[in-house]
Amino acid sequence: MSTGDENNRQGIPGTAPGWNQLRVCVLSIKYNIMREMVNKVTFLTNICFMILNNGAFLVQWAILFRLKEDIGGYTFQEIMLLWGICASSYGLAHILFARAFALPELIINGKLDAYLVLPKNVLLGVMTSSTRTSAIGDLAYGLIVACLSGFSVKKMLLFLLFTVTGAVMVTAFAVLLGSLSFWFVRMEIFADQMVNVTISFATYPDGIFKGAVKVLLYFAIPTGMMVYQPVHIMTDFKWKGFFMVPCYAGMLSVAAVVVFYRGLRKYSSGNLMSARV
Amino acid sequence: MRIMRKYAVVYRSVLMENLQYIGNIALGFVGYFILIFVFMNLWGYMYGEPGTRIAGYTKEQMIWYVMVTEMIWFGARTGAIVNQVTTDIRGGNIAYLMNKPYHYTLYILARHTGEWCIRLPMYALLAVAMGLTMVGRIPGFGIPALLSSATSVVLGVTINGVFKICISLMSFWIEDARPFQWLYDKLILIVGTLFPIEIFPAVVRPFFKLTPIYTVCYGPAKLVVDFHMEQYSEILLRQFLYLAVGIGLMFFIYGKGVKRLYVNGG
Repeated sequence: MSTGDENNRQGIPGTAPGWNQLRVCVLSIKYNIMREMVNKVTFLTNICFMILNNGAFLVQWAILFRLKEDIGGYTFQEIMLLWGICASSYGLAHILFARAFALPELIINGKLDAYLVLPKNVLLGVMTSSTRTSAIGDLAYGLIVACLSGFSVKKMLLFLLFTVTGAVMVTAFAVLLGSLSFWFVRMEIFADQMVNVTISFATYPDGIFKGAVKVLLYFAIPTGMMVYQPVHIMTDFKWKGFFMVPCYAGMLSVAAVVVFYRGLRKYSSGNLMSARV
Repeated sequence: MRIMRKYAVVYRSVLMENLQYIGNIALGFVGYFILIFVFMNLWGYMYGEPGTRIAGYTKEQMIWYVMVTEMIWFGARTGAIVNQVTTDIRGGNIAYLMNKPYHYTLYILARHTGEWCIRLPMYALLAVAMGLTMVGRIPGFGIPALLSSATSVVLGVTINGVFKICISLMSFWIEDARPFQWLYDKLILIVGTLFPIEIFPAVVRPFFKLTPIYTVCYGPAKLVVDFHMEQYSEILLRQFLYLAVGIGLMFFIYGKGVKRLYVNGG
């Protein structure tokens, strides 16, 4: 016979620990979204205006394509695809794992205590503890733009796969840089800047960059594997390139997890009295 | 002048406070640097051969234009006009602040000025350093252009602050005014910041001249890259008009908004 505490630690009796953890994450995200939906007008305004906000950039590209027929080897359709993958990856990451982007603030202010006492995975608990409403607008915009750039079942399946890998990459990159706050000060600004840099590059075609910058885009920041490679695969399918994307996402995730747990050993509590309801 | 003294005190205290965080502001240079780098590559690709002109601008003028508008964009991005107003209204702190011996909107404007007075010169120095090393000098840019564009930039940043406060004050009616800030920001960014107005079709240009775009970013940047005394007078006149209308609108929205305020105890 087990105590209630043991049940908590082992999860729901009869379910595997992995499934139990997944169920907790799904419930956490579900309640985050329900909390955001309390004020329905604000919720819908945030989503609709984010779609409009992203849509404004199509004007920028329409203007540029009036001046030249192709930009960096990209047509207008391919730019839309680039924007679609970028927006939906960023959106999905901020719907599921918004708190991963605020990790430095939790570390610096000693706010991880509330997650450390939970009988579940600390990193997943932190990451899934908040949702950004406007990110739903980003995801919706990405899907709309992908459909407008030419619809086919194969293309949509690839788009959805690359949205997931892109979301994993940008989240892992944020966790990796955010975890450096365990060792260094002011990393919150640096981490935020680097994530913004990744997104800034991701909205322009790689053909306009040359030499070392291109190498940096693929190896120093995940922009290349997050959006450029997926767009190339969707326009000219190659198996080798196709397998590289999830592999890169996996490796980046492993690196982020390792750095986070290494850093967690150095974490010191802020003695804050807080509760997560 | 005595009335304005209290706002000068607020301005000074915010200025002193922000001087402590110069390091944090400097870390934000990374974003500016990368954005300008991207645009240098983009315009380098678009111009192709040397000597090409797009919408009457040389490649150097176009890059300097983006550097100046982005400098205004990054330098004038302060927490007071968006986050503080929204948080004060949503959280109810406005009930305490509106009873203080100052006008709340002018208090926010003073805080905003205190913040950008540190940020903007820092970004200006970065822009000049990047421009001179990576693009080269702007032909015909001298002391008159420097003084005129500096006045125009200050007025542009203030007008932008007033309009952003107006949008934030909409939180009296809707809980979160940020979505409207996004749209305003995108209007300024896409139409006035990334490109000069001349690049748009001739049909829409007169309309853009009536929007804040002309006074907030296009005007000051145009004076830097292509200075003409007649255009300076026109831009200055429009800026003063816009500032007067903006401040009037700000007082009007605030006056209407506070009447909707409900105090739920506390």
